[in-house]
Amino acid sequence: MTSKFSQVFLASVLALAALLAGCSKAPTEADLNLATAKQKAEECVEPENVIRTKHMDMLMHQRDATMIEGIRTKQHSLKECINCHVSATKQDGSPLHYGDKEHFCTTCHAAVGQKIDCFQCHADRPDVAQNQNYQHAVGSTEGHHFTQGVTEAAAPTTAEVQMVTQPQQGAAQ
Amino acid sequence: MASQSIIFRETKQGKGFYILLAVLGAFLALGALSFFHAEHHGHHVTGMNNQIVWGLPHVFAIFLIVAASGALNVGSIGTVFGKKIYQPMGRLSALLAISLLVGGLIVLVLDLGHADRLIIAMTHYNFKSIFAWNIILYNGFLVLSAIYIWTMMDRKAKGFYKPAGVAAFTWRLILTTGTGSIFGFLVSRDFYNSAVMAPLFIVMSFVFGLAVFILVLHFTYKWTGRELGDKVMNRLRYLLAVFIAGVLLMELARHLTGLYISQRIGVETFILRDGGIYTQLFWVVQILLGSILPLSLIFCRKLKDNRLALLLAAGFAILGGFAQLYVILIGGQAYPLTLFPGAEVSSDYFDGAINGYTPSVWEIMLGVGGVALALVMVTIGVKVLRFLPESLSDAVADPHSK
Amino acid sequence: MSQNRVDEYRRKFVTALGGVAAAATVAPGFFLREAQAAGEVPTRSLDQAVTSEKRWGMLIDITKLTDGGAGMVEACKKEHGWDNNPLSRDDQKAHWARVVNVKDKLTGHSFSLPVMCQHCENPPCVDVCPTGASMKRADGIVQVNKHICIGCRYCMMACPYKARSFVHEPLTDQRSYSPRGMGTVESCNMCIHRIDEGRLPACVEAAPDAVIFGDLNDPNSAVSQALKAMGGKQIRADLNLNTGVRYHGI
Repeated sequence: MTSKFSQVFLASVLALAALLAGCSKAPTEADLNLATAKQKAEECVEPENVIRTKHMDMLMHQRDATMIEGIRTKQHSLKECINCHVSATKQDGSPLHYGDKEHFCTTCHAAVGQKIDCFQCHADRPDVAQNQNYQHAVGSTEGHHFTQGVTEAAAPTTAEVQMVTQPQQGAAQ
Repeated sequence: MASQSIIFRETKQGKGFYILLAVLGAFLALGALSFFHAEHHGHHVTGMNNQIVWGLPHVFAIFLIVAASGALNVGSIGTVFGKKIYQPMGRLSALLAISLLVGGLIVLVLDLGHADRLIIAMTHYNFKSIFAWNIILYNGFLVLSAIYIWTMMDRKAKGFYKPAGVAAFTWRLILTTGTGSIFGFLVSRDFYNSAVMAPLFIVMSFVFGLAVFILVLHFTYKWTGRELGDKVMNRLRYLLAVFIAGVLLMELARHLTGLYISQRIGVETFILRDGGIYTQLFWVVQILLGSILPLSLIFCRKLKDNRLALLLAAGFAILGGFAQLYVILIGGQAYPLTLFPGAEVSSDYFDGAINGYTPSVWEIMLGVGGVALALVMVTIGVKVLRFLPESLSDAVADPHSK
Repeated sequence: MSQNRVDEYRRKFVTALGGVAAAATVAPGFFLREAQAAGEVPTRSLDQAVTSEKRWGMLIDITKLTDGGAGMVEACKKEHGWDNNPLSRDDQKAHWARVVNVKDKLTGHSFSLPVMCQHCENPPCVDVCPTGASMKRADGIVQVNKHICIGCRYCMMACPYKARSFVHEPLTDQRSYSPRGMGTVESCNMCIHRIDEGRLPACVEAAPDAVIFGDLNDPNSAVSQALKAMGGKQIRADLNLNTGVRYHGI
């Protein structure tokens, strides 16, 4: 059993383990580009320490609630995180994506080496074409700050009210 | 257990071992390359599409998985049915079963759209899905086969030898039933939805597993300079013939049923007459080369005790098996779904049209990588542990056979 | 009949507008019926889970579709952006909906219809999915939970309607309300994001004269009334899947 083969095998396993051990280094505060996040900390849906440590759990909970039960509250919605924290374009006007280091989520996730696959499917920047005023201001009715509680779904727009009150052409028959 | 004169030994140190590992390692590397390529770029680099959703990787994977459960049979015949001559081969049989299954599963898993979510497949179960049951069956098979090997290798565990063998044998029958039912339960496709898929896959597993076992047994003995007698090989030879005949019978029943039910005549005539490549693969490769030729090689009087004839028979049975799975998988998907019986349908999305499929080099590499992994596991296995009897000459293997 | 078509739609808004102010602006006859219907199934607020009280479905009258449903397919494409797959070959591109032309071999009778996910009551794709990613929501909408989809494509093998597509390439800039991504399977989800907001699915909006959408469980809903009056066939009714999408004129 203690052949040349098993020696070679053992040596290669040890070498690989040593290599892997050398690679892992805990990131320091300096490694994390937290400037944008800190700017918005006051407006966040949860206190800073909560959102930092628990955002993944909240998103996970929200994702199942939305997919399976159709619950679409906004406080812990990924879409609303993106709308608040990520701008649609970089400074030079080109689209900003998760792969870019300026992307809000990337600033931290790249530094801690935590790969996420949210953005394989989800839009990684606000859908400007859909909503020009995607960016929320502090205290606005669109905000979901934890001190405000959860805001209800938006009231119907004038156009929508009109659709109901004035029967469509096809409905006249 | 095995008779007293059987001594198990690891294979010897030698240049051949490293050369073999290097060759297989090269194929493994190609398989890994293929996985990373498709994982990074997406499945658009493969030949698979939204009509042919399962392609060549699945042919390889299902072949290996089905062959895995069949490879265990040699051991089971010795343990469950008490045939002494098979017992010395039990360890290799179980090792080969584990190796083939792992090789097949790796292909299946690495072809997933999200191979990185394998953990989800292990933690989220939909118990109505035969696929979910198969995940449990595969894992259970690996565990039971490992226990089976342990009872054969450890004298202290000898008492569990028979129960372990029976458990592994029962489990493998259920496992292949599950694999066949992956197709049998598909309500929407006339070529698949039939209970016969389960027994068909079981008999197919007998053939694939035994054919692979014959080749592996011969070449390990030849390359390590050990003796392998005709008594053992002739047992396996005629067993292979019986199994091939069994597959032919099941296929006959399946296709006759298809031709009898008018709802299924469309897809049956496609496969049997109008299917181009699928028709050729069925008649020429599966039936002629994969079934009739091996039977002739086995039963030809002039070729009695001819080792080369047996190896060719096993090789052609494997080739036929691949063709059979290709026809079942790809051929079955190539024929369009029936939305409106009795009507011609067309659309800008291939409705009513025969679906095309050309495997890409990446799919071939991934499949061959799975085969290489299985063989690497066997090669290393017989090297580091006592799987192989030092000799299976007629005098050792069959002193007083029954 | 098509007056009833927007019942569901209106009921939500009547409730949203709230009480008398809204009622005053709505035609009196219409309001009466609304008042009765609204009592049976309360409008859902977005922090409440959907229930099986409702089952969404639609009736497509193909005799009123002049383009065979091409406009509906275009609306779907635009809404969900599933035509954005430049790297995929034609046979790999996503198709949430398509127009199928049918011609009877014996009689030569022909027609065209839009085919998409039929939102079966007993969906084969849900049965076969190993992880439960292919799912039916309580209100009858069949969809893929892409978070736990491993991309095995078994549901595509199982679907009799070829309603599902596999995403063969990396995507960016998806619609914010319709996430879709490489390595997962996707299909028509009846515009679940619109339904939750009380809006009609995009394809229904694109063909208001030919499609009636609503609650199949409510015998008084427009779609139930129309189905009762006109019939409404299923594709592959022989499979006994009890589809939520029904057709008139096939």
